[in-house]
Amino acid sequence: MTAVTTERGTVERGTVLEARGLTRRFGGLVAVNDVSFDVREGEIFGLIGPNGAGKTTLFNLMTGLTPPSSGTLAYRGQKVTGLAPHRIAALGISRTFQNIRLFRALSALENVKIAQHVRTRAGLWAGVFGTSRAEERRVEDQAWALLDLVGLADRAGESAGNFSYGDQRRLEIARALATEPRVLLLDEPAAGMNTAEKGQLTAFIREVRARFDLTVLVIEHHVPLVMDLCDRVAVLNFGQLIAVGDPAAVQRDPKVIEAYLGGE
Amino acid sequence: MGDFLGQYGFLIVTMVQAGLLGLSLYFPLQAGQLSLASPGFYAVGGYVAAILLTNPAFAGWRDALGNGMFPLTWLAAALICGVLGLIVGVPALRLRGIYLALATIAFIEILRVISLNLSITGGAIGIFGIPQAFGFQDRWQYIWLFGPLLILTLLFARQLERSRVGRAFRAIREDELAADAMGVPPTHYKVLAFVIGAVLAGLVGAMSAPFLNTWNAKQGTFDASIAILAFVLIGGSRNIWGPVVGGALLTAVPELLRFLADWRLVINGLVLVVASLYLPQGIVGALGGVRRPPPPRRPPSVPVVVEAPGGGS
Amino acid sequence: MELSQLIQNLMNGLAIGSVYAIFALGYTLVFSILGIINFAHGAVFTLGAYFTYTLVVGQFENNGLLKGINLFPDGSPFSGNPWLFALATLIGAAVAGLVAVLIERLAFRPMRSRGGDPLLALVSSLGVALVVVNLIQLLVGAEIYNFPSDAYGQVRPALSFHIGEKVVIIRTVQLIIFAVSLVMLALLGYVIGRTRVGKALRAVAENPGTASLLGISVDRFILITFFLSGFLGGLAGTLVGTAFGVAGPYFGVSYGLKGLAVIVLGGLGSIPGAVVGGLVIGLAEAFVPAQYSAYKDAVAFALLFVILLVRPQGLLGRAQIQKV
Ligand SMILES: Nc1ncnc2c1ncn2[C@@H]1O[C@H](COP(=O)(O)OP(=O)(O)OP(=O)(O)O)[C@@H](O)[C@H]1O
Ligand SMILES: [Mg+2]
Repeated sequence: MTAVTTERGTVERGTVLEARGLTRRFGGLVAVNDVSFDVREGEIFGLIGPNGAGKTTLFNLMTGLTPPSSGTLAYRGQKVTGLAPHRIAALGISRTFQNIRLFRALSALENVKIAQHVRTRAGLWAGVFGTSRAEERRVEDQAWALLDLVGLADRAGESAGNFSYGDQRRLEIARALATEPRVLLLDEPAAGMNTAEKGQLTAFIREVRARFDLTVLVIEHHVPLVMDLCDRVAVLNFGQLIAVGDPAAVQRDPKVIEAYLGGE
Repeated sequence: MGDFLGQYGFLIVTMVQAGLLGLSLYFPLQAGQLSLASPGFYAVGGYVAAILLTNPAFAGWRDALGNGMFPLTWLAAALICGVLGLIVGVPALRLRGIYLALATIAFIEILRVISLNLSITGGAIGIFGIPQAFGFQDRWQYIWLFGPLLILTLLFARQLERSRVGRAFRAIREDELAADAMGVPPTHYKVLAFVIGAVLAGLVGAMSAPFLNTWNAKQGTFDASIAILAFVLIGGSRNIWGPVVGGALLTAVPELLRFLADWRLVINGLVLVVASLYLPQGIVGALGGVRRPPPPRRPPSVPVVVEAPGGGS
Repeated sequence: MELSQLIQNLMNGLAIGSVYAIFALGYTLVFSILGIINFAHGAVFTLGAYFTYTLVVGQFENNGLLKGINLFPDGSPFSGNPWLFALATLIGAAVAGLVAVLIERLAFRPMRSRGGDPLLALVSSLGVALVVVNLIQLLVGAEIYNFPSDAYGQVRPALSFHIGEKVVIIRTVQLIIFAVSLVMLALLGYVIGRTRVGKALRAVAENPGTASLLGISVDRFILITFFLSGFLGGLAGTLVGTAFGVAGPYFGVSYGLKGLAVIVLGGLGSIPGAVVGGLVIGLAEAFVPAQYSAYKDAVAFALLFVILLVRPQGLLGRAQIQKV
């Protein structure tokens, strides 16, 4: 059994997210069905499951993009379900999208600058009269630093839509980080990446987690990557949570094996 | 010079005015909102000014303020249109795309019918005999009002675009949902963009009422909305110069076509069709394609003290 | 309200409402396949009325370039008999349909193939409307042309009957309008429900891009839709022209705008919605009390505004959930 140890050691840390009975119906379909789990501070929490299991919907519930039919999610004890997405972002939960949703016509730099919105305050008149220069400079520096981090600084002026698939995913991570989150949700960050890139991604996520002191939730289909990266893994099948635990144990769970074999 | 202004002064002022109305639609469009409400606010602004300048109820104010009455009409129009924009915008901006456009069409039609029937707006006849602003003798002198307003609006728009609020507008235009998820509250900024447009249109209306001397329900119609939309789209909707160029050109075209006599309105329609087919990025967009903006330059992360050659201070 | 008044209002409302309905169907058909609003539809409505008038009367005496020209010096072959009048109406509507097809070819198709901003379709279709309206003005002037009272033969102008003390008067034209609209709706229902084109239309309305899967060429299919749309618009124009006169080049404009209210009220792109929306607005207008009749034209838009706020998908439209 692999020890559930983060790079910060096995120090006992609190619970960041508590999902209780999260449910979402679309007409007759129950995309997420009575899902409850806890996420601990600082861990990398994997979310796996066959196609259509409800993983993305779960992220949408957690970030306010889709209101739940019932159930709640609490972030550090504060209920976030029912809040608008931008409020949840302001609390410190940020995400990337499975079907990338960058501001395609805007430059990479601008994509990242926009996401600093909740951490800045210049209003209409401050902007028009140029009294927010110091803040603007901070936004600019921060954006460049984040682009550096994901290795896109030399293409800062290009439209996000022109980037390769992998680069767009990296840019989305930079954009998500620009909101200065405490919890980062990554929806299939490795999709469309080759094996070498996937390896780099694992290291990169670890590095980011350490550097920004994050809790990371990651949806990923590629099992070796999940096993390698995650401290704990949850498995969804037909909207239901069928297993949570450390990766090796989950991998041996008969229900999980059944779900994956049955799903093929 | 006097001759030229006598002949073309009115047209030139009208071209500037059209550019301003184009800009009033451009602000909501910046935030991705297709609002056709500008003529409604323009009409309201004009009525506010016309009423303040002619209604016996305000005779005392006019005597007391003299020429100061004109700035007061601007202020009043801007304020009333801003509040009206807020009242209409908050519910209407929950709608997207064509639905918002249709709601704003409904708004201007309702306003039109109301203004046709109220006595304070002069009913179907409207309000006439509106005094000339600051005792202007010639129509071209209104350039002293519309010109500075245009310059201020362009400066405002440019500054806005470079600011945090401008970025929020663009983010919403590109992808409202993603903007929301990245912490940009869409409703707040959509309403803000809408209100900016409303205030500008109201100001233009307040300045136009004395300029046109009369004001009636024909000022805020559906035709005007589409004309203004055409200013923006044919001028170019991605650049502050687009609405200005589009407004000026499309206002000048019917005048330039005067030699075609009765055919000119037909040709004017054709110009709209051809321009929308062949200039999908707008005139300014087509010109701008040649000149790309320079890539952003990385600022030095540590402030570097640059010494003037030769040193010393 | 007294019973006689109720029946009178009901009849007025149904007659005008059914015209709104068939006119609005023309909008909806185009919207459901192309996702655009064809602002030239009001102009096609006007054209339909003028085409029929040309066939039935053959001359425009008052003004314009065509002044003094008489197509039928010996009297129009379409005049004086209700069936021939009906034939003229159908031909007029069909020509309006062809004009709509022409508009599609000249103003919409090039834009689709270029992939410009879809908003530009609003501008180009309004440009087309300007061209049409001003051409009409150029050719026949801005005067109102009334169909001569004997144009459709010896038909009683109105039916009247008593309810208690009160008289209810129903103009024959209203009855005809209502009947023609019902026939058109039934025909359209058949076309959409039973034929291959209709099935493709529904399929595309629900899920754009599927027409080619059904073995129908998309371009041809769009042309058919525009023809139908123009036909319905032109027919509505003739019906209104028959009832109230062909009231100048701009007389389609207000119908064009109200048609928008109708389709949004019923649900954008929904075919039954256009019918329901038309009837609702027609009836609502008919029941506006006389002392507020000046506000009648605002009724449609007030309803439009309200429906957008409480139920943006319209009465019969389906809500769209955005997938993330
Ligand atoms: N907005 C929506 N409306 C209707 N059904 C939806 C919606 N969003 C998701 N669904 C349905 O809910 C189910 C779960 O979808 P979801 O995208 O959450 O799955 P997933 O686990 O992320 O799958 P994948 O691995 O393919 O990304 C699917 O059947 C999907 O079709
Ligand atoms: Mg998914």
